Amino acid sequence: MATIIEITEPKALEVKDFEFTYAKADAPSIKKLSMPIARHNITALIGPSGCGKTTLLRSFNRIHDLYPGNKYEGEIIFKDRNILTSKEDLIKLRIQIGMIFQKPTAFPMSIFDNVAYGMRLQGIKNKTELQGRVEKALQDAAIWGEVKDRLKHDANGLSGGQQQRLCIARAIAVEPEVLLFDEPTSALDPISTGGIEELIVELRERVSIIIVTHNMQQAARVSDYTGFMYLGELIELGRTEEIFVTPRERLTEEYITGKFG
Amino acid sequence: MTHTQKRILINDIVMALSTLSAIIGISFLLWILGILVTNGLEALSTTIFTAEGAPPGNGEGGLKHALIGQLILVSYAALFGVPLGILAGTYLSEYGLKSKMAETIRDISDIMMSAPSIVIGAFVYAIVVAPMGHFSGWAGSIALAIIMIPIILRTTDDMLQLVPSTLREAAFALGAPKYKVIIQVVYRGAKAGILTGVLLGVARVAGETAPLLFTSFNDNFLNTNMNEPMASLTVTIYNYATSPYEDWQQLGWAAAFILSMFILTLNIIGRLFLLKRKGR
Repeated sequence: MATIIEITEPKALEVKDFEFTYAKADAPSIKKLSMPIARHNITALIGPSGCGKTTLLRSFNRIHDLYPGNKYEGEIIFKDRNILTSKEDLIKLRIQIGMIFQKPTAFPMSIFDNVAYGMRLQGIKNKTELQGRVEKALQDAAIWGEVKDRLKHDANGLSGGQQQRLCIARAIAVEPEVLLFDEPTSALDPISTGGIEELIVELRERVSIIIVTHNMQQAARVSDYTGFMYLGELIELGRTEEIFVTPRERLTEEYITGKFG
Repeated sequence: MTHTQKRILINDIVMALSTLSAIIGISFLLWILGILVTNGLEALSTTIFTAEGAPPGNGEGGLKHALIGQLILVSYAALFGVPLGILAGTYLSEYGLKSKMAETIRDISDIMMSAPSIVIGAFVYAIVVAPMGHFSGWAGSIALAIIMIPIILRTTDDMLQLVPSTLREAAFALGAPKYKVIIQVVYRGAKAGILTGVLLGVARVAGETAPLLFTSFNDNFLNTNMNEPMASLTVTIYNYATSPYEDWQQLGWAAAFILSMFILTLNIIGRLFLLKRKGR
């Protein structure tokens, strides 16, 4: 019943009959959801609060596993394998599929150490290599100019927008294939939001991006594909301009025209 | 009297009463400190730090044995108590979470925190002193460590839980294994709070007398052998202050002064850390 358009590009991820049930919940929060995620594109997930979009996003790197009792069913295919099996190496998976959170999550350490964190986890100790890659990541995250003279300073001294870009630098420094953005600008002012949005669009060249947002204009501005979710189901997935101009499902139209939500 | 006048009057009365109570409370504290400082400073002299216990009457006695004994007892107690307390607090916050096991440990440690310290002393007497057949420094340190553990455990647990869970998630999302998340991110975020807990825990046991009375007991001379009874400032205060000899009483004042200043300093440092953490 969901309207899902064919995606001709190669797929970064493919969700098949996915169900997710939180610990101690009676009913699944996501029901029999299937959707493709196009490679090197930006897919936005929109929908009213509680529709399951963040729950779906957090399944792609299995961050739900940090809390006991949550249950996955169905498949999420990434690089020809189902990542929902118990034998999946979560550490490797999370290096390949990075995540940016709603609130900036700068670690209580220096700016340099923040960006180097993921690389050090992978055992990179060579100072020159670390320095080079930290600088490149900060440049790619469009924050190098602001922090290059204070790399040794505590990252918590940065503004919210700067911290969020630092987190993006930290995530791209390990060269992931997919980046998950969980409402990355909801805690930021409009100017910082604009900066992050530009950054996300630029990153598309190198990574596949999935972004959850409450802000429909944001989805329209940055994404190539938009998926509309409602009550744990995917109602419609299409090219963003089509979703916002000529949605095929009545529910989608009602949501984007503000009739509910 | 109008409604407003009545309200203002009641407000004034309540304010006057609460201010008065605060003043009374603080005056007692200042009074205690004042007497301690005047008597303590008067009793202080260089021989106090160089001489050991001496018979009453000749005024040659010092506190060297008690100062060093106290330091050794508290250091060993911290050596056992701090790692155990921090690790147990880590278990509660990072692994046990809200499980039955974790909640039970929290409850028990709360009860232990309010247990009379003399009961802990009696317990250590039964399990260490009695089997060994004599008092010892080890027994004293163990008793102090047991008192210290629940304090450090609870502050560690509380402080770790204050670290936002998104910070942990962010570290996991970069592919960090759990132990690295805890050591490199969570501990760092809670560093000041944990340190405060440790300092307050050490300060608390440094002032304990009852658990030492029948564990490390006392020694009038310098002893650094943990297998032997060992002097401490607190037991020395107890013995000297209750003695009929003037010069011993003076030594008791000096000991009380030194100990209080030590504990006060630890407390102030601990609170400064906490302030710094909140200020950020």
